[in-house]
Amino acid sequence: MAEQIVSPDLNFVKEVIAAGADSLKKCYQCSTCTVVCEVTPNNKPFPRKEMLYAQWGMKDQLITNPDIWLCHQCSDCTAFCPRGAKPGEVLGAVRKVAIKEYSGPRFMAELTSNPKYALLLFAIPVAIFLVILGAIGHLDLTAISLNENGVIAFPEFIPDIYVDMIMVPTAGFAALVFLLAITKYWSAMAASAGGAGGGDIVNSITGTLIDIFTHKKFSACGVAKDRKVSHLLVFYSFIGLAITTSLGVLYVYGLKWEMPYPQTNILKLIGNASAIGLLVGMTYMITNRMKNQAKAGLGSYFDWLLIVIIFGTCVTGILAEVIRLAKLPVPAYITYFTHLVFIFVLFAYAPFSKMAHMVYRTTAMVFARHIQRD
Amino acid sequence: MEKKYALYICTGCSIGESVNVEKMSTLAKNALKVPVIKSHFALCGKEGVELIKNDIASEGVNTLILAACSARVKFEEFDFAGCIVERSPIRELAVWTQEPNSPQAQMAAEDYMRMSVVKAQKGDLPEANKVETVKSILVIGGGVSGMKAALEAANYGSQVVLVEKEAKLGGFANSLYKKIPTSEYYKEPLIVDTDIESTIKAVESNPNIKVYKSSKVEKSDGMPGAFDVTISTGETSETIKIGSIVLAAGWKPYDAKKLGHLGYGKLKNVVTNIQFEEIAKKGKILRPSDNRPAKKVAFIQCAGQRDANHLSYCSAMCCATALKQAKYVRQDEDAVAMILYKDIRTPGRLEYYYKEAQNDPGVMLTKCEVKGVTEAAYDNVYIEMKDSLLGDVTVEADLVVLATGMVPATLEDPVLNLGYRQGPGLPDLELFNGFADSNFICFQYETRRTGVYAAGAVRQPMNMSEAQEDATGAALKAIQSNEHSAVGMAVHPRAWDVTFPDPFMTKCTSCKRCTEECPFGAIDEDEKGTPFYKIGRCRRCGTCMGACPERIVSFKDFHVDMIGSMLKGVSVPDDEDQPRIIVLCCENDAYPAIDTVALQHMKIDPAVRFIQLRCLGSVNLVWIADAFSRGIDGIMMLGCKYGDNYQCHMAKGSELANYRLSKVKETLDKLQLEAERVGLIQLAIDDYGNLPKIITDFVDRVKEIGPNPFKGF
Repeated sequence: MAEQIVSPDLNFVKEVIAAGADSLKKCYQCSTCTVVCEVTPNNKPFPRKEMLYAQWGMKDQLITNPDIWLCHQCSDCTAFCPRGAKPGEVLGAVRKVAIKEYSGPRFMAELTSNPKYALLLFAIPVAIFLVILGAIGHLDLTAISLNENGVIAFPEFIPDIYVDMIMVPTAGFAALVFLLAITKYWSAMAASAGGAGGGDIVNSITGTLIDIFTHKKFSACGVAKDRKVSHLLVFYSFIGLAITTSLGVLYVYGLKWEMPYPQTNILKLIGNASAIGLLVGMTYMITNRMKNQAKAGLGSYFDWLLIVIIFGTCVTGILAEVIRLAKLPVPAYITYFTHLVFIFVLFAYAPFSKMAHMVYRTTAMVFARHIQRD
Repeated sequence: MEKKYALYICTGCSIGESVNVEKMSTLAKNALKVPVIKSHFALCGKEGVELIKNDIASEGVNTLILAACSARVKFEEFDFAGCIVERSPIRELAVWTQEPNSPQAQMAAEDYMRMSVVKAQKGDLPEANKVETVKSILVIGGGVSGMKAALEAANYGSQVVLVEKEAKLGGFANSLYKKIPTSEYYKEPLIVDTDIESTIKAVESNPNIKVYKSSKVEKSDGMPGAFDVTISTGETSETIKIGSIVLAAGWKPYDAKKLGHLGYGKLKNVVTNIQFEEIAKKGKILRPSDNRPAKKVAFIQCAGQRDANHLSYCSAMCCATALKQAKYVRQDEDAVAMILYKDIRTPGRLEYYYKEAQNDPGVMLTKCEVKGVTEAAYDNVYIEMKDSLLGDVTVEADLVVLATGMVPATLEDPVLNLGYRQGPGLPDLELFNGFADSNFICFQYETRRTGVYAAGAVRQPMNMSEAQEDATGAALKAIQSNEHSAVGMAVHPRAWDVTFPDPFMTKCTSCKRCTEECPFGAIDEDEKGTPFYKIGRCRRCGTCMGACPERIVSFKDFHVDMIGSMLKGVSVPDDEDQPRIIVLCCENDAYPAIDTVALQHMKIDPAVRFIQLRCLGSVNLVWIADAFSRGIDGIMMLGCKYGDNYQCHMAKGSELANYRLSKVKETLDKLQLEAERVGLIQLAIDDYGNLPKIITDFVDRVKEIGPNPFKGF
């Protein structure tokens, strides 16, 4: 093992620092973080060694390891660190760098992680949808007609087919990037761990899914323990919204039944409940962050970008519905337009933004379980 | 002087309620023939002191025995000029540690009163031995420590002579590129100029300091206040009179040629920390092999230190130095510094320095064990690490800096070159790896030679900041030494004492036991081999008094006959179930421990009687014979610890007492007296809690042996 020659990579250190780990070099390896962490396995625990690897710019050790994603950033380590080195934030920054490394193409990751491109991210879908509206001649919002029942119907504004012809390939692209990324990640982890173990992969996946659905790891947090509730709400709301969307596809393309649907319909019931759940969850998440900022830090641009995207999606969706029901056509169409922009941003950049955690963390947890990491 | 005795018995602090003071007065009048006997309920108060002062003025009493509290308290109240004042500690030893109103307490009170009267009878007012002295200070070593000591002493007003072996003052500070800032060292820039030139200038321009460069101390004869120091510069030499000496001779780097296992001497790009300073001083950090800039510099800490094969100790300054030198490396923005450590030791406020110096993307640190150092391509170096959190990896560096340690100047060179019979250097420095240190826990900067004070890295590995603080302390001691020598007073620890050893030379057999055993080398011998005292060197411990088989050494208020008579004044009960044990205790740790036991009102076995000595080294074996012939059943010697971690305030006293004890056991056996009747116990002052048990255990042991067969003879 002494054959492994280490050369500290100063550029990588600077990259991690720029990604949000500015206090990285304050760590003096006292191990308080590892002792305090409730989710770390006892064998080769984190985040102490990650702090050291990051300080030395040892990129490989950092990103070919499931550990950085086993961390749930509960921030207990940050709260207890005697030097103010904020290991939670350092690991957050490393995760961001890891995403850039695995999710290709690289320029998209760069776009999503750099604050100076924030407006560009949103400008792209705005442009796309404006082009579509222009092509179908619906740029004059006052000229949009109500539907056959005399109510505002968004398909009159932008027909579903045009929405789906943008969203479906976007989602497909995201899925493809994820697939490639986790294949690369899994192989890297396997190579680093000397094999992926010969256990039952189905078992590992099932076990991980159970952990995720019960949010078992979230109970271990000290400082951020309120996050279990907020994230649970957001998580199940997303599932609810996924069901809603699937039902929507069935209604539109299967049953040929157009929007809008009555409030009593199962799709609306699940949809509205999920929307409210999401709103409550996201609000709670934001207020928690503000409350905990002294101990856990406020979070980076990367964190807040995702919060803004999801919160924005949720609020614009609810507002679109409310304004539609209030029978105000032009505001409704504008809100709906904004909603579509947010949805695009959520899907298109999912593999490059913090949203990617849903795939990376799951993969890491499956891998860890598979090689019996615990 | 003609003595007029007076006894004052205080009845305060429960004394009056616990013993029969009337009976004591009667005893003093009839048996001890004390002419003036008075008692008062608060002798230390205004009224009590007035009472005594009136008697001194009107009745001319001048030898006072105060049967009250311990001599360690109320010394300002009971300070009467021109009088002998004996403090009989009946409050501590007869009242607070005994059952009140018991026959044992009464017997104890009467014994201590009697012993103090005998002591007053046998002692005399001391007269200082004044000789001609100077108050100049010699500083050996012109580095950071020496210069600071010189400046501090000069600013006080002393005349200072500074001797430096190099052609330039400044010492190792001259080799440094930069230093760690001494104030606000957690703020940028984290490396500042040493500014040693301005200190050198201040020293060389100070009218009170005479500087000798390219010089060394050839010889130091004499004694504190009157040292004759010969300074040689090249071919010439000069002898000057000096009062006290500050030894600030500093350090040398450990010989790195012994560190071949770390690549030194074998690989071109492996240097020591001091060599790295010299490289940095040239401007850019260039590798020795090819003069190209170093981009990956590795620092191996604890190089040849904390290692059984090299230096066993830590040199205290190397961790902070490595952090500083890492900042040198980082002056090049693309370069990285890798510090490989066993521990990072940056105590005190240097912790803030560590935090700031480390907070740089290009400074990497890891804990590890360095397994090996081998050659890489282009004269680079591979360093194999194990037990590191990075894994068992190898790091590649283009320059390696070994943190080599400090070795004191006194390791192989006596430096002082004392003309003492006991030798030219400081004795027993193996205890401190050659450093001129001491275990005098109460007295820093002290050495085994009175008037010589060690400061800086010659005393202990330390950084420049600490060394300057050290130097200030040593200068203060040197000044104190001069002030005391000028009035014939002991310097330390008996800083009030003007008595001195006055040997009755007619009976001297020149056995030289005193000369060899004096811990401070205060006795030399003349051409005929007859020992003589250099009183200035003496610390008045009385070890010579204990050593002398002819008992020729005495002090005005402390001598063999005095203690012998006090021993004979102790009551010995006829009852075989009531043994009598004498405890000879030293005044440094043992007696204060006894006082503390008393202060806590803990009870002590009534069989014992305590007699306070200056040091266990002063125990003369004749006392043991005297005591046993009187019928005393056992003798315990209670003193400070000796050995490697000695606490004996006179360095060798209790050790010598223990050694002499082994000799006396033979004599006792011949007298059919069991050797176990005599014992030596080492005690630290904070161990007072165990003292009652220690004493009771000893008494029980003696009880088991049985009563002294010489009782009643």
